[in-house]
Amino acid sequence: MLEIEGLHVAVSGKEILKGLSLSIAAGEVHAIMGPNGSGKSTLSYVLAGREGYEIISGSIRYRGEDLAAMAPEERAAKGVFLAMQYPVEIPGVTTMNFLKTALNAQRRARGEKDIDALGVLRLVREKAKALHISEEMLKRALNVGFSGGEKKRLEILQMALFEPALAILDETDSGLDIDALKVVADGVNGLRSSERAMLVITHYQRLLNHIVPDRVHVLYGGRIIKEGGKELAHELEAKGYAEIIREAA
Amino acid sequence: MSALPNRRVEDWKYTDLRNAIEGEAVASAPVARWSVTLSGTVEQNELPEIMARGTHGEMGTVAAAHAKSGIFLHVGKGEQGTVHLELSNAGHGRALIVVEEGASLTLRETMSVGDFSNIAIEIVAGPNAQLHHIREANADGESVRVSDYSIRIAQGATYRAHFADFGAKLSRTELHIALEGEGAEVHLSGVSVLGDGGHADVTTRVTHSAGNAQSTQLFKLIAGGKSRGVYQGKVSVAEGANGSDSRQTAKGLLLGERAEIDLKPELEILADDVKCAHGAAIGDLDPESLFYLRSRGVAEPEARALLMRAFLEDAVAEITDEDIRAEVWSHVEAALAELTA
Repeated sequence: MLEIEGLHVAVSGKEILKGLSLSIAAGEVHAIMGPNGSGKSTLSYVLAGREGYEIISGSIRYRGEDLAAMAPEERAAKGVFLAMQYPVEIPGVTTMNFLKTALNAQRRARGEKDIDALGVLRLVREKAKALHISEEMLKRALNVGFSGGEKKRLEILQMALFEPALAILDETDSGLDIDALKVVADGVNGLRSSERAMLVITHYQRLLNHIVPDRVHVLYGGRIIKEGGKELAHELEAKGYAEIIREAA
Repeated sequence: MSALPNRRVEDWKYTDLRNAIEGEAVASAPVARWSVTLSGTVEQNELPEIMARGTHGEMGTVAAAHAKSGIFLHVGKGEQGTVHLELSNAGHGRALIVVEEGASLTLRETMSVGDFSNIAIEIVAGPNAQLHHIREANADGESVRVSDYSIRIAQGATYRAHFADFGAKLSRTELHIALEGEGAEVHLSGVSVLGDGGHADVTTRVTHSAGNAQSTQLFKLIAGGKSRGVYQGKVSVAEGANGSDSRQTAKGLLLGERAEIDLKPELEILADDVKCAHGAAIGDLDPESLFYLRSRGVAEPEARALLMRAFLEDAVAEITDEDIRAEVWSHVEAALAELTA
């Protein structure tokens, strides 16, 4: 599903990713763990197509296509979804209206028919319930005045609604208490399927107790320095990043 | 007539009328006409020359002098009505609208003519009267239009007005508003959505002459292409007008380097014990918001239009009449689609 080969990426002229390679197949959940400044967020943004992230060399192939050549909206329509660490607040756009606009924009780009307002409402309601997202929240302006947990739940609601083939979760656990973490993790687990790949980016192992990955990669200095199964996350938690980095050096 | 207002005159600094039209064309302009639609209990009469004594600006005075006849609309005590004024012949025009004690009126103004228009309208809201006024000016890069309102608000009365301007060669809306009675309220809002070649100037002069009166102003301006949006607002609180409450907000969104927005809120307070706030800000579309929307599949032009709509949202929401608000939104959305196309 996703093949990253020797990826070098610079932000404002500074090289952040320095030869990152990663391959994820459909049905798999991979975790990327790394300390602050290792390049985790850069990886998520470059996959989503944010401006200002310059690919110096290397390639990103998504379902055989060159992902880097696509506009962010094209990536979304083709099934790439990034749950952001800091979802943006947009006053003046209600959450419900945003969901409808985004869902139908993606459908239109794929040549599918729009879903009418009532249809979207029904769909959203059904998915919102499991994530403890109230009707009242959907009526509010997008992310405005939402707590950290509410913002993250809304990101997962979008993931449930858009049904992406590749979901990237960037620090989805940050700012969540244990109850909120469980709600979000259950939401994500409910979306695991044999057709979907997930990339979970996190600093801490805690989220991976709830979303159990098939593979764990340790990112440091812009490269993957160690890979392993789910037990690698526990090893990291026990030893700390410094020890793992020393071992890998 | 004497020289036309130009940028050397402080009040006309951003709107040079002399540059937009010949003095001769102003002097020889005909008398304007409206097509009037009434419902409810509103009387319409010819406005005699001697009536209408409002405080107008330079051009309002010119309009009042040139327009030998005009229209007089009257809503009697406790009555209710709606009026739609559609400017059907350009030129100098004048109107007097009186809403008596406890009466209410929804006044809607639109225009379907270009060329040169110079309109002076006087509005008198009696004690506890309610006036909801919505004016829309379509995009017309050829026309020069000046509208000058003189509005007096009595005790307990509310005047709520919204001005949606889509830009002309020159467009000037001037509001002279006096809060004359205790507890009088004025709520002004407006949006200017300007494409290439568009100009719109809203100039407000609000005077709190009586105590415990309230004035709010919320204006949002979007300027694309080579265009210019102007908001100048001055609130004066007279001596003894204690308990006055005034809020003034103007925000501009610049879409390119050839567009210009000038915001000038001013406050003059001669009373004690008042609550006054004003603010102005000019910015660009937020790149973070744009990326967020695009990453969720919303194509760039649509995402830009959505953010611009969001920027205007609270100003348009000030229109309390649902049907008119929906209509204004449809015109705003069409203008935004043009700007982002």
